[in-house]
Amino acid sequence: MAAVEASTASGLALPPLSDEDAARSQDRSRVHDARHHRRRWRLLWLLVGPGILAMLGENDGPSMIAYASDGAQYGLGFFVPFIPLLFAMAYVCQEMCMRVGAVTHRGYGELVLQRLGRAWGWFGAGDLTLTNLVTLVAEFVAIRVGLAYFQLDAGVAVVLGLALVVFTLSGGRYWRWERIVLGMALFNGLFLLAAILVKPDVGAVARSFDFSPFPGGSFNTLLLLLASTIGATVTPWMIFFQQSASADKGMTPRDVNHGRWDTAAGAVLASIFGVGALIAGAALMSHHGSGIQGFAGAGFPEALKHVAGAAAGDAFAIGLIEAGAVAILTISASTAYAAGECIGVSHSFNSSPRNATLFYAANIGVALVAAAVILIPGAPLLSIALNANVLATVLLPVSLVLMVVLANDRGLMGAWANKRSTNVIGIAVIAFVGLCGAAYGIDSFLQTTHVIGS
Amino acid sequence: MKAPPATVKQRRPDASVAEAERQHQEQLEDELIMHLERDQFVEKTSRPVPRAALSARATAALWALRVFVVLVSLMVLYTFIDQLH
Repeated sequence: MAAVEASTASGLALPPLSDEDAARSQDRSRVHDARHHRRRWRLLWLLVGPGILAMLGENDGPSMIAYASDGAQYGLGFFVPFIPLLFAMAYVCQEMCMRVGAVTHRGYGELVLQRLGRAWGWFGAGDLTLTNLVTLVAEFVAIRVGLAYFQLDAGVAVVLGLALVVFTLSGGRYWRWERIVLGMALFNGLFLLAAILVKPDVGAVARSFDFSPFPGGSFNTLLLLLASTIGATVTPWMIFFQQSASADKGMTPRDVNHGRWDTAAGAVLASIFGVGALIAGAALMSHHGSGIQGFAGAGFPEALKHVAGAAAGDAFAIGLIEAGAVAILTISASTAYAAGECIGVSHSFNSSPRNATLFYAANIGVALVAAAVILIPGAPLLSIALNANVLATVLLPVSLVLMVVLANDRGLMGAWANKRSTNVIGIAVIAFVGLCGAAYGIDSFLQTTHVIGS
Repeated sequence: MKAPPATVKQRRPDASVAEAERQHQEQLEDELIMHLERDQFVEKTSRPVPRAALSARATAALWALRVFVVLVSLMVLYTFIDQLH
């Protein structure tokens, strides 16, 4: 909106128009037209994307297996209201990311690096790369579990995942990438279908919203459950991804309200589908569901097929393939954004591979490394997959604290800086996540070193 | 009336087409630029923002966070590696 007017008013020359600017401007012209002609639904359609992708991307393969595992082990109860509560926390964090991205037009990695120092910037990028790599391995494992249900092997999972990454990158436009991944992400609804197909007791689901029964077991088991469930809902890659994607999409402060709707819609859909996976898993509780190794063989889909019929098993298996595939695309993208931002080179889907070589190489490279790991004979895939969410939870407080610092930076955010109420909620979320992660980390360490008994 | 030289006669349409194309291109660029905010251009976003001036309390809190995360991460990695064995 303001560029030409501002330049006319101030008499300042406009910067040169790059190919990335031209592509972004075409997307913005459609937003401008929709806003000008008061086409509300079209405007919403044009502006949704990063929020839904971050939330549904986090409903990834390991997360859905974790929810189903919670259901199979503990049934309905504590986790039915706990999952929506966690997504409400995720909304608080992701709304800040979207707002900072829309106001500053810069990604999280570059702002931390430039504003808070190189040490924090590289720490954040290192933390992200480590957790992303581990999570990506777990995504390929989840796809393999889904494909094993259809008697297909790990090689197919690798080819499928890598082909999707290359295909979605081929257009050289953010808009194209976003719409393809958004279309795929809607198949996350298959977990809701699986929940309906197991014919749950609706009354029991409704009653479980009082957080009871509380899961039993040892203190360490409870901490592991909390840490892995939190890690299945809020992770460092979501923070990097949504801020960078909001900037790459070209969002401005005028779009912040639509960004909030986008993020809220993502949180609602993700919590419904997450609870769907939990309910589907709970159908296995009375059929020795707690003994199912979610990441081994065909895991939960095969078990569901025997208990609730082939349709439920099919829906869960295809859902797992979709969840893994979407997460591979979004997590690879967040790694590529972070790499480009921290090294200081072009980092946009709107740039051509020639102009943003590192961005495209990081996007494909990180997926390639993760794919290679699952083909290594005897690799500890089960342990990697189980620990991915816990590791993300332990490292998450750093990303969240730095995000709150950026969102409060009036030099960057001006009138869009955090309000006191947002800070209170944000700090409470960080404290909760930090305590659960740290308590699990310390308790497990003390048990491993035999300082305390299990 | 004297006819203009052949060379000029041939060049004039080419020149006007090129000029029209240039003007069309400029118009397109202007339209594109209109939809971007000044600080949204790549040329602007590629310039680094200045380092924030943090208070002593904020710096100390960030250092405490750094120590906390390194310690807990080491514990989790130790546990993870121990589980692998």
